[in-house]
Amino acid sequence: MIHVKNLLKRYGDLVALDHLSLDIKEGEIFGLLGPNGSGKSTAINCILSLLSFDKGEIEIFGKKMTPDAYESKRNIGIVMQNVAVFDELTVYENIDYFCGLYVHDKSERKRLVEEAIDFVELGNFKKFHPKKLSGGLLRRLNIACGIAHRPKLIILDEPTVAVDPQSRNKILEGIARLNKQGATIVYTSHYMEEVEQLCSRIAILDKGRVIASGTQEELKAMITLGEKITIEAFSINEQELQQLRELPGVLSVQWIEKRLVIKSGKKAGSLEAVLDFLKTHEIGFGRIYSELPTLNDVFLEITGKQLRD
Amino acid sequence: MPVFKVCLKIFRKNWLSVSIYIVIFLAIALLISATSVSERPTTFSQKKARVAFIAEEQTPLVKGFRKELSRSTTIVALPDQSEKLQDALYFRQVTYILRIPKGFTESVLSGGKMQLEKTVVPNSIENTYVDLNVDQYWNLARLYAAHDPGISQNGLASRLRANLSGTTPVVMKTENAAKTSDSFSMFYFNFLAYTLSAVLIMGISTAMMVFRRRDLRMRHYCSPLKQANVTMQLLAANLLFAGASWAVLVGFCFLLDPQSIVTMNMLYFLINSLLFTGCIASLSYLISTVLKSLNAVSAVCNLITLGTCFISGVFVPQEFLNSTVLKIASFTPTYWYVQANTRIAKLTHFSWDHLAPSLYSMLIMLAFTGAFIAIALVIGRRQQATN
Ligand SMILES: Nc1ncnc2c1ncn2[C@@H]1O[C@H](COP(=O)(O)OP(=O)(O)OP(=O)(O)O)[C@@H](O)[C@H]1O
Ligand SMILES: [Mg+2]
Repeated sequence: MIHVKNLLKRYGDLVALDHLSLDIKEGEIFGLLGPNGSGKSTAINCILSLLSFDKGEIEIFGKKMTPDAYESKRNIGIVMQNVAVFDELTVYENIDYFCGLYVHDKSERKRLVEEAIDFVELGNFKKFHPKKLSGGLLRRLNIACGIAHRPKLIILDEPTVAVDPQSRNKILEGIARLNKQGATIVYTSHYMEEVEQLCSRIAILDKGRVIASGTQEELKAMITLGEKITIEAFSINEQELQQLRELPGVLSVQWIEKRLVIKSGKKAGSLEAVLDFLKTHEIGFGRIYSELPTLNDVFLEITGKQLRD
Repeated sequence: MPVFKVCLKIFRKNWLSVSIYIVIFLAIALLISATSVSERPTTFSQKKARVAFIAEEQTPLVKGFRKELSRSTTIVALPDQSEKLQDALYFRQVTYILRIPKGFTESVLSGGKMQLEKTVVPNSIENTYVDLNVDQYWNLARLYAAHDPGISQNGLASRLRANLSGTTPVVMKTENAAKTSDSFSMFYFNFLAYTLSAVLIMGISTAMMVFRRRDLRMRHYCSPLKQANVTMQLLAANLLFAGASWAVLVGFCFLLDPQSIVTMNMLYFLINSLLFTGCIASLSYLISTVLKSLNAVSAVCNLITLGTCFISGVFVPQEFLNSTVLKIASFTPTYWYVQANTRIAKLTHFSWDHLAPSLYSMLIMLAFTGAFIAIALVIGRRQQATN
């Protein structure tokens, strides 16, 4: 549905997009994950022909995307990173206006606007002006304005910044619902949890480059980390730590605040080996947690830095 | 037409900040109308002088003269005491003291000197009529006496009365149109320049600012609406706003001074102000493409409206402004608008020759309009390109 090939975008000396390639298929929820300044918004704006770029090809719906590809634009819903609404209009009027840019039939539009209001649960705020809405509510209005016309392709650029966890979950559920109803979704975020929860395929962006892409399983399979084990222990000395590090399958061991944080490889059996070791050395321990790797771990392993710094 | 409608909504929202200018304008217009409408001379009547008539002899001719004089002046009875007479003059009870000395009648009829004593308040126009009367009466008396040497004074007096009884009809040779010269309409339309500028710049620039906000502009680029279409809708909304503002402001002129509607001058006042409206509307559009913040808009609005109106003769007539100021002012459309107004106000004939100077001023205003639009378009293009 969206096909981007070798996209190069410079801001003066800064290379914002470095030969970026993406392939987004119909019906999927595609996540664009990257830290601040990695070029997510720049990529979106180039895809939408809002920005000119130095090199590359962009196709949407099988057609080359240009500033006057109005037929393609008609089928795209966009939720920008910066809230774009009229302070002079009420919640209802705003949604009606943006819907009206796409849908001319009045009664049809009324239905769509009401649906969009239900979707973001702003029913009690229809007559409110944006200035009177909290940051989270404003974000929800921004989303409603972007999706009211029921587009085939919806692009959301960090739509949940400043939204509380509860509303965020509602929004994510809503987006999943839109996807079930047939819309293809492109979702950018620097929250890996969101992307992990929502997206079927993900591209991880850093410094304008796609450093990894695929399904979550594929991404996690790319790295050596298989499991992260945290054990509440009472005391352990440096020698024992060193011995733990030498156990088979163990990648690293850290002793932080009375917790052993052990990263192990993909092969099963590391946990048993560790527990055996603790028992034979009579090291007392409490609760044990085991976590599968997250996208943060993927990012960390590939770039050597945290996703969120 | 979603953009058009929203633009109108924004105009309605901003109405309050704009209406302040209109209220101030109306208050001043009311003041001007109250002071100017009353003193519009449309008929001619001779202003009567107040005369103290002191006669030292009471011949039939003197009596006849007194009667004749009383037709065109107000004769105030005063005692013949020099102090009282001086006071009366000083307090303007009378403006003319006429003394007929003893033997005056005889002297006139015998062809001798015609020596009257008069004391007057200087520079009183009405006194000329008294002098005129004196000359007329006594010269005629001398003429009749010379032609008809045997005539009695009584006979002479009645003849003179018959001769002078007619009044000379004076016809004011002005048409309906000339009423507007220095009239309420001219003040109103000159002052309109200030209010119209303020209302349009505030109204249009603030509304256009909204649509120029980067986020909203980007959002519009994402929509299937053509950019030219958006521009056209905005333009239409601006023109409607400008037209409505013009109609409201001009409408008040008709309310305050209903007679002005029938004059030919009004037609040209309207055309001139309509052209000015178009010119300022395009200037407002230009301002909104250049400025970034609303505060800047109101600052520039005040600077432009007050500044140009002062130097262009909206508040002070152009003939009182020094020529350097006027030279600078001629780089603003307001100057040409006021000039056209002043010229229109003086018109009594509407032939091509008479109209040409006013039309010339209007033409220059049109040129300004074209220039503003062209610059706005160029800047708009450039902004789009660098986006
Ligand atoms: N108009 C611009 N001029 C110059 N540099 C820019 C411009 N816009 C963005 N950049 C730079 O390009 C890089 C990518 O920016 P972009 O906004 O695409 O990042 P992002 O991934 O969307 O970040 P965020 O999560 O903060 O939204 C950044 O380094 C940014 O500083
Ligand atoms: Mg961004």
